[in-house]
Amino acid sequence: MGGKVTCTLGEVKQRADFIVYWGGNPAECHPRHFTKYTIMQKSRFLPRGRKDRTMVLVDIRETKSAKAADTFLQVKPGKDFELITILRAMIKDQRVTDAQIEDTGMTREVLDKLVDQMKNCKFGCMFFGMGLSMTRGKHMNSAALLTLAAELNAFTKFVAMPMRGHGNVTGADVIMRWQTGYPFGITFNRGYPRYNPGEFSTVDVLVRGDCDAAFIIGADPGATMPQPAIDHLKRIPTICLDPHITHTSKLARVHITTAPQGIAAPGTAYRMDELPLPLKPALKSPYPTDEEVVRRINEELQKKPFWMPEGAPLTMTAHG
Amino acid sequence: MIRITGGKVYDPANGIDGEVKDICIDDNGRIVESIDGGRTIDATGMIVFPGGVDVHTHVAGGAINFARAMTPEDHRRTQAFIRTKTRRSGLGGMAPTTFATGYLYAGMGFTTVNEAAVPVLSARHTHEELADIPIVDKASLTLMANNEIMLDQMQAGEYERAKNVVAWYIWAAKSYGVKAVNPGGVAAWKWGEDAKQLTSPIEGYSNLTPGKIVTQLAQICDDLKLPHPMHLHCNNLGAPGNVSTTIDTLKHLEGHRAHIAHSQYHAYGGDDWDSICSQTGQLAEYFNTHPHITTDAGAVLFGDTVTITADGPWQHLLYKLTGRKWGNLDVENETGCGIVPYTYRPSNLVNAVQWASGLELLLLIKNPWQVFLSTDHPNGGCFWRYPEIIKLLMCADFRKECLEQLPDKIKGKILLPEIDREYTLYEIATSMSAGPAKALGLTKKGSLGVGCDADVVIYEEDPTDIARTFAHPRYVLKAGEVVIEEGDIREAPDGQEFLVKPHMAADTDEFMQPRFEDCYTMQFENYPVELERIERKDLQELPAE
Ligand SMILES: [Zn+2]
Repeated sequence: MGGKVTCTLGEVKQRADFIVYWGGNPAECHPRHFTKYTIMQKSRFLPRGRKDRTMVLVDIRETKSAKAADTFLQVKPGKDFELITILRAMIKDQRVTDAQIEDTGMTREVLDKLVDQMKNCKFGCMFFGMGLSMTRGKHMNSAALLTLAAELNAFTKFVAMPMRGHGNVTGADVIMRWQTGYPFGITFNRGYPRYNPGEFSTVDVLVRGDCDAAFIIGADPGATMPQPAIDHLKRIPTICLDPHITHTSKLARVHITTAPQGIAAPGTAYRMDELPLPLKPALKSPYPTDEEVVRRINEELQKKPFWMPEGAPLTMTAHG
Repeated sequence: MIRITGGKVYDPANGIDGEVKDICIDDNGRIVESIDGGRTIDATGMIVFPGGVDVHTHVAGGAINFARAMTPEDHRRTQAFIRTKTRRSGLGGMAPTTFATGYLYAGMGFTTVNEAAVPVLSARHTHEELADIPIVDKASLTLMANNEIMLDQMQAGEYERAKNVVAWYIWAAKSYGVKAVNPGGVAAWKWGEDAKQLTSPIEGYSNLTPGKIVTQLAQICDDLKLPHPMHLHCNNLGAPGNVSTTIDTLKHLEGHRAHIAHSQYHAYGGDDWDSICSQTGQLAEYFNTHPHITTDAGAVLFGDTVTITADGPWQHLLYKLTGRKWGNLDVENETGCGIVPYTYRPSNLVNAVQWASGLELLLLIKNPWQVFLSTDHPNGGCFWRYPEIIKLLMCADFRKECLEQLPDKIKGKILLPEIDREYTLYEIATSMSAGPAKALGLTKKGSLGVGCDADVVIYEEDPTDIARTFAHPRYVLKAGEVVIEEGDIREAPDGQEFLVKPHMAADTDEFMQPRFEDCYTMQFENYPVELERIERKDLQELPAE
């Protein structure tokens, strides 16, 4: 089981009469989400806008987003997975005990109502934020929520979508997938892509001290990564491409100032629903774009002898 | 300059059937009458084909990329391409990565592919992926049959407006033509419904039926003078008894050009999964009496694959049947897509019927200019397994052996055991190159005639195993450049993309903008793919009527 049942944000804008935000705080983290895509929008199918839509917020604490919600459900910290599992059981009329429900911080009455709303809406959408995908259980939580959305399609139309962080994280994920088959956590050290998030993710490689150089683009790990990773970045030649001075640029051996994406550099950004949006620069920058820097480095690398010896095998069977 | 000498040439576009003759290629990558000097490739004892053309495949864009994300377990056991000086790394398998896609297609002698399903909204993404598929040339088709702005115009009886809307979308997507998937059914799916009857109004509309959409869209493609006719994925895909829907659809197309995608999935009799049977006889007969309509087989091969289609309701059904992973992505205003990993098993009666039906259509439709090799990659099987289908078509004995794996209860449900036809090399060259090139309207492809693109494949016949012959060509030339030699990738040049610019009324932008802003979440001026984004292109401006 697994998979993902989703849609683009325009579908939510047009059709979603029931919206759940789970583990996210859009009012503060994605301020335009309500007005551009979800609860505030009027559409041909939901002409009265906010009045035609119901919004439920599930989170461990009452954030500013709770004010915008019709219902706020405060789940006990670390009990998201249990709550989702209970909902999966309840939509199928399977037995769940009061004790199991109370353990998540909910009551049967509240969940009966939620299940009823989920099954009887015309088009339901669940957005899940960092609060769900980055806490205990991590991808188990998101997988369970995606499964719940898939299963709700036995009763009505239901989709789910992650709320991504800022920067073009989605874009990096999309491109890595088409070039390598995997979204992140990839190593090329055998000459072809291999994937293992707990092992090949940047943070793991740095903490273990496995790499002897770092090339950083569009990110500031110096501000967010654990100290051992930062210490390793300081030890090795770190090259940083960034329009601004950042924690990473300060510890890097080389900082190349580049034109800011979207403001002075063209390109494509992928929205959280993976729609590609063109970046059309309004300003001219004296600095080169990231793309140009990478291309020029590549051209220089081409002049060096190829890293792999002649006569090595060209294809092989991949092993994870 | 290259001269290929001594080979037996199979060039159906020019009626050449195994004649020993030289093929000359100039420095512009074109086939010419003669050359002076240059390299000579001795093809004595070998066979020479025009490069393969895949009329219907899914190799780039949101849906296949969604499938890649859903199948990491497959990537681990598959063929890996190691980086070399001329080649990027990648992975083969059920949903190959972009670079690997180019190497795998070229590696079996295919030099042109048609990406058959592009939502305009994510066309920019599709083009970025297509640019990362090396060697082969590419065309792409825009998904139209469930576009609500177009449907509204059809419902209102505004044919001219609907036509302009279609032209506007093709140009916005920078595509080559129109793909229609389950007309009306995908729009209905957005409310969890489907459209199975051609004459019943679709969910959300008062009098618009799938039948009307089919007829009008075919007319629009004809009137816009698109080089490739409407490319249609019929309603009711995969369902027992759906042959009646398919024949009904074909009747709605009388008087128009059309290409029917993956007919195998539309050729079943029976009332349910237990009584399902092949009805390819009926469907083949229709094609045999209507030579202006083409199709591709959408053949099924036993083994693992991942199914992806814009047919959301069908994918939901498949998910319910298999209980495996399900991915679904509805795209605002335009279309949707579904993704379900799947294993076709000879022991499974439905799969056995599907396997036989694909081959039956290829064998029962008499004219190879009408029926083309395809698996609807990756739906019926991966494209790199085409050589297995060629063997099944060319060797009746091999088919008989394969039939023995099928369950006993298959008796009476399929026609394959009674078919003795074996494809000739000339017919194979027609079905995998000349025919699809002609159907796509690509006049410089699928032909070894003077002036055509020098996409040439040289096979060394392996009399013990015809599948090996086609899986491992000795040489592949793309636009006159030797890309495969002695089984290795020598060069990986970038291919080009085919685009058309249809004629449309001058006020179409003004007409579109308010309607667009009503239902999209993207800025109107950001929506069309900029022409500059497509680096290597062959752009054809289409005349007004
Ligand atoms: Zn298809």
